[in-house]
Amino acid sequence: MAEERKAPASRSAVVKKLKATKAASVYQKEWFFSMKERVEREGCDFAILNADVPMEIFRAMDIPFVVNQWWAAICGAKRMTRKYFGLMQDNGYRPDLNSYDAQALAESFDPDDHKLDAEGNPMGPWGGLPRPTICITRLTGDVQNKIFSLLADNYGADLYTMENTVARTAPLNWYELAADRWEEMYDTDRIDLAVEELKELIRWLEMKTGRLFDINKLQRVMDLVNEQEGYYKKIRDLIASCHPVPVTVVDTINAVMQAQWQRGTQWAVDHARGLYEEIRALADRGEAAVPGEKLRMMWLGRGMWQDFAFYQRFEEKYGAVFMWSMYLAMGADAYIRNHVEQDPLRALAARFIGMEDFLHMPPWNSSWFLQQAKQNDIDGVVYMIPDNDIQAVEGSYFIKKNLEEAGIPVLAFHADPVNPKKWNAETMTGLVEEFIEQRVIPSKEKKG
Amino acid sequence: MSIRPCALESEAFQALKDVYDHREKAAAQWRAQGGKVLGKLGFDVPDELAIAAGMLPVQIYADPDRPLTETDKYLEHAFEPVVRAQFEKLVDGTCAGQIDYLAISNSTDVVIRVFLYLRELKRVEPDRPVPPVAFIDWLFTRHRLHQARDEFVVRLFKEQLEEWAGREIGDEEIRAAGALCNENRRALRAMAALRHGGEVRIGGSEALVIMGAGLFMEKQAHTALVEQVTRDAGRWPILTGPRVFYTGAEQEDTGLYDKIEAAGLVVVGEDTNWGSRGYDRDFDPSLPAIRAVVDRYLLREHSAKKSTVAQRVEALDRAVDAAGARGVIFYTNQYDEVATWDMPRQRASLEARGIEHVTFGQMRWPVDRNRELEETLAAFAAGMKGGAE
Repeated sequence: MAEERKAPASRSAVVKKLKATKAASVYQKEWFFSMKERVEREGCDFAILNADVPMEIFRAMDIPFVVNQWWAAICGAKRMTRKYFGLMQDNGYRPDLNSYDAQALAESFDPDDHKLDAEGNPMGPWGGLPRPTICITRLTGDVQNKIFSLLADNYGADLYTMENTVARTAPLNWYELAADRWEEMYDTDRIDLAVEELKELIRWLEMKTGRLFDINKLQRVMDLVNEQEGYYKKIRDLIASCHPVPVTVVDTINAVMQAQWQRGTQWAVDHARGLYEEIRALADRGEAAVPGEKLRMMWLGRGMWQDFAFYQRFEEKYGAVFMWSMYLAMGADAYIRNHVEQDPLRALAARFIGMEDFLHMPPWNSSWFLQQAKQNDIDGVVYMIPDNDIQAVEGSYFIKKNLEEAGIPVLAFHADPVNPKKWNAETMTGLVEEFIEQRVIPSKEKKG
Repeated sequence: MSIRPCALESEAFQALKDVYDHREKAAAQWRAQGGKVLGKLGFDVPDELAIAAGMLPVQIYADPDRPLTETDKYLEHAFEPVVRAQFEKLVDGTCAGQIDYLAISNSTDVVIRVFLYLRELKRVEPDRPVPPVAFIDWLFTRHRLHQARDEFVVRLFKEQLEEWAGREIGDEEIRAAGALCNENRRALRAMAALRHGGEVRIGGSEALVIMGAGLFMEKQAHTALVEQVTRDAGRWPILTGPRVFYTGAEQEDTGLYDKIEAAGLVVVGEDTNWGSRGYDRDFDPSLPAIRAVVDRYLLREHSAKKSTVAQRVEALDRAVDAAGARGVIFYTNQYDEVATWDMPRQRASLEARGIEHVTFGQMRWPVDRNRELEETLAAFAAGMKGGAE
């Protein structure tokens, strides 16, 4: 048995069958260099935004920006993690705390960020970030204020913070309300406050950048976001209805996430449409991501960025396919806000204030995960619980309880997905195999 | 050194120590007389409103000896150990037998999560003995919009208290409670004056007892005892030794201060809520009642959890200067690490002004679980050389 459980070594040879995934990777690089060139040419303001800041405002005002967490992924891909670990340590900071959120901060300590090495290669990731003049975060966690205030200080940029509020009402069926009945989803005063915060942000940006805010442009941006996310909804619904599924999370996570950072652009809409059409074609041909699909698996928690091949280790042996992750499903259920034309700012407020609730707060997350498990005919759930990040804890007890009481087995384990030192592929593979053998397969057989 | 015989000879100090050591006693007596007790989690639950509602506010604290049987079911490892121990009492029925209601303020991420978990627990396991819970969702950024929002938030909390109390709370009642709290803060400030200045008469552990007792008893009675102990302390021997300021993890007992003092250091101040931050800034009676509550809680010194790094650097410099400390002890527990983001710049600022410092990070709780703490403190004390200022 021990022999059978032995996992193959981690490989990067992950199957990526979709053109859209490659296209997104190519585009994000082109976009970054074009944006960087513009910032350097025009000497215009450039912003770093935390992921939960409503980027739609910046899109509408044509203010160049990058999203902190997107850039952290680029830094990781460019193998800056070790160097940045050292830079944080050298400057007196704990490199193991919030390391993902602090990549841009670490970069700001790097004196070589914009230099070339002896062979003429850039030393910073993609030659380093342009020097930001604006750093904006929402105060969704205590540490955001710290990281962004240090980041702003290091770059000599202006810090702007946006507040966060906790929901008093928490509808269990938020995913049914989000697109059209979003006023019912929140306490009215929370949306009112968020709208006022948006107005203050806009005024501040107008003064800071000299750029015009045009509500009609925001409406256009919001329409584009709805269109893009609408394709994600079609993709999610299509995958859920397919037996076997035509694609897995390995195919969809990157394709969706890279485009999600470009939301509100025509490119992102076109990309989402292309992704849908590609998957639709696969489904129409009856192609199976995993021939002989037997078990449909749900992945809860952050993506396994450092080891995407992990998701595929159970396909051949068990016919187990990881076909659901939050990345596509959030696009499908959390972003769309119809009736934008009535009040684009209010619709935007109703989008961004809920993200923390949907993902990290029971019962919002636990009720949604169950509904998604049912829609996708999930046989088993593998749930990676963040080990050391209070902002990422999300009521794992309630999530597990809700799913298991509905008859869906859950394997919950603790890990740090962005720290390779805390990730043991063999141990985790063994855990999942044991889970599949001892709980998922018997549960499926019992249901007939 | 720790708590000295001179302090123990003071009847007032003894009375305060009795409350500090037996934290449920005053609440139990209050309830026995028909009063309602409001438990507080987080450090931004306005005492003024609880008192105006006729309730006795008491702080929820951790019991280091209690097994975390229930907590381990519900909370992830990322919850800091002190809060995990507090949570145990909230869900195992202990608190339900000691308090009538619970108010949680969003003073830090971890207690926000505790509120969300308790709310969900009450929904999915309604038989579990968790007291009724109110949540106070302050905005801590200091802008006009947020000040206005905070008035709304405080009104919501007032309405909840009114529902629980079964009556309306008048502005005059809030003002009267504000005056009561101000008297208490004035008494604590007078006491604190004996912790620094020319002659230090009250040690850190003694001060923790004096201040901490106030979290578990009636304000008026506490004020009277603090005033008396302050008079008594005027005759206590002067403390000599290098003067240090403490910043970091909340200290719910005197364990750490005992060790600091055993190393020969004198703790002349701290910026924790179980310490000096508790009496910072008064309720302004000239303002409308609700606005005065917001003013008091929103505009007191920045907490480590809800501020920028620059704000915390300035706050520590101010506090160290006010206390006349020559050294600073930074101390954070494992998983309670937000303050560590402030420390590199705080240390740089202190060094520029000739203030010495020592840092203890990722510490285990309770304090006795840490090795080499005493040795490091002794070395730091030896390095500070000069003795009393």
